[in-house]
Amino acid sequence: MTAIEKIDKILSTRQLLYTLLVIAIILPLIYPVGLPIGISSRTKAVYDYIQDDSKVPPGSHVLIEIYYEVAARAELEPQVIALMKQLFEKNCKLVFLSTITYGPLAFQFLQASAPDVFEGKTYGEDYVFLGYIAGQESAVASLAKSITGTVATDNYGNSTSSLPLIVEANDASAYALVIVASSGTDTFGWYVRQWYTPYHTPLLFGALSVIAPSIEPYVNAGQAVGMLTGQRSAAEYELLVGRKGLGIASMDAQSFAHGLILVFIIVGNIVFAYTKLSKRGEKK
Amino acid sequence: MGAVVRRNIPQIIVTIIILLMVIFYFFYISSEVRTAFNTWDKALTDWVVVITAMAAIVGGVDILRYHVNQSRKKEPKQVFFSGIVMIMEVIMVAFAVIALSSGISIPTQQNFQWLYTYIYAPSDAAMYSILIFYIASASYRAFRVRNPPALLLLVVAILVMLGNTSLGELLWSGLLPIRDWIMTVPNTAAFRPITMGLGFGIIILGLRLLLGKETTWMGRRE
Repeated sequence: MTAIEKIDKILSTRQLLYTLLVIAIILPLIYPVGLPIGISSRTKAVYDYIQDDSKVPPGSHVLIEIYYEVAARAELEPQVIALMKQLFEKNCKLVFLSTITYGPLAFQFLQASAPDVFEGKTYGEDYVFLGYIAGQESAVASLAKSITGTVATDNYGNSTSSLPLIVEANDASAYALVIVASSGTDTFGWYVRQWYTPYHTPLLFGALSVIAPSIEPYVNAGQAVGMLTGQRSAAEYELLVGRKGLGIASMDAQSFAHGLILVFIIVGNIVFAYTKLSKRGEKK
Repeated sequence: MGAVVRRNIPQIIVTIIILLMVIFYFFYISSEVRTAFNTWDKALTDWVVVITAMAAIVGGVDILRYHVNQSRKKEPKQVFFSGIVMIMEVIMVAFAVIALSSGISIPTQQNFQWLYTYIYAPSDAAMYSILIFYIASASYRAFRVRNPPALLLLVVAILVMLGNTSLGELLWSGLLPIRDWIMTVPNTAAFRPITMGLGFGIIILGLRLLLGKETTWMGRRE
């Protein structure tokens, strides 16, 4: 058995790879290395858009769709928290809703993760959570026409028509921005079709890294003002708004795990090429 | 008479609704027209919301019925799985009834929240996290350069992966703009036809439904 074959045999054992992966994820979380995080032009463009008072005026209304389950929380929640911080600092009023059944749970976690961001904000005046709304794209279309006409109560059983924030902003024309934080691909299309096309309400997407490529055409066509992609964008946004959170904290772990996978891909290919060449040599 | 009730009346209803939806969406000629349309348009979309909410109840009953039938087969494994599903469903309904009888909304009911927070949330997170091990395992075995297109794919994948991490930043700051370029130019070029194809597919399906050529939604295959 040659040295390369020995390496191949050792690296082929799943147990080794899994152990190394667990170490690569856990160690940086316990002992952060603080690898540099550069800010991409796309994330900066989103930040600048919200900062621009002519585009998102101070005190304006923003709708936030929380369409992610717990599994996608690590990537999307830090994005939403960072965006919320920036919007609350501009005194924007936020209306949260979810067209996925996990929404109320995701929002509960969101509140628990960012008590500092919600501090000093009054429910019903500064923010509202409408809860889970059934009907998917039809619900999104209906909300654009009238929120009180679509949902009678919010997540906590309060009448929507008794909430000052909803009375102020009851349809799509009242919103300066819609943020769609989603772990699914369809959700983005719903808002493009039901909010952007008929009412020209600006959209901002928060997507998982694995989903981002498929919704890129919407952003490229100008149907969304921008897109935040996965944990990387979340970390960048946290740096921009000056609130270090889960995004930055998990970047080291993500980097080491990706690095390890890259090493295995490269080594795997070296072994593969060597084996292929040596077989050719034997045939000759 | 039977065929009229089972086939023609549902088809007429669907055709009318499709025509109305098309008119409401595409024929906003002026704000007056929009206002005139708005009541009907809103009513139609609200019906969908109500039907979807009711369908969830039907779905729940159907799942329960399926698992009751499955558990009668007396296969130990199946009885175990079906039992769990049935117990969970009954518990959920019980919590919902408690919440409604207490006059509070279901998502804020304490037991309901406990179930979601301490049973559902960890299970969901664990299931998704396990994926990393499959991907890592595949990284050594599957991502091998067998031909030139595979090499191109691998190089692009490495550039995007490095661009997504801080490690890439440490190696070379130019990786981030390269990742952004790959995502906005070649990636969009590849995905745009897929998105457009999907759109055309939806239009064709809509036309088939409108003209009565598509009947599978009525539970038929002809």
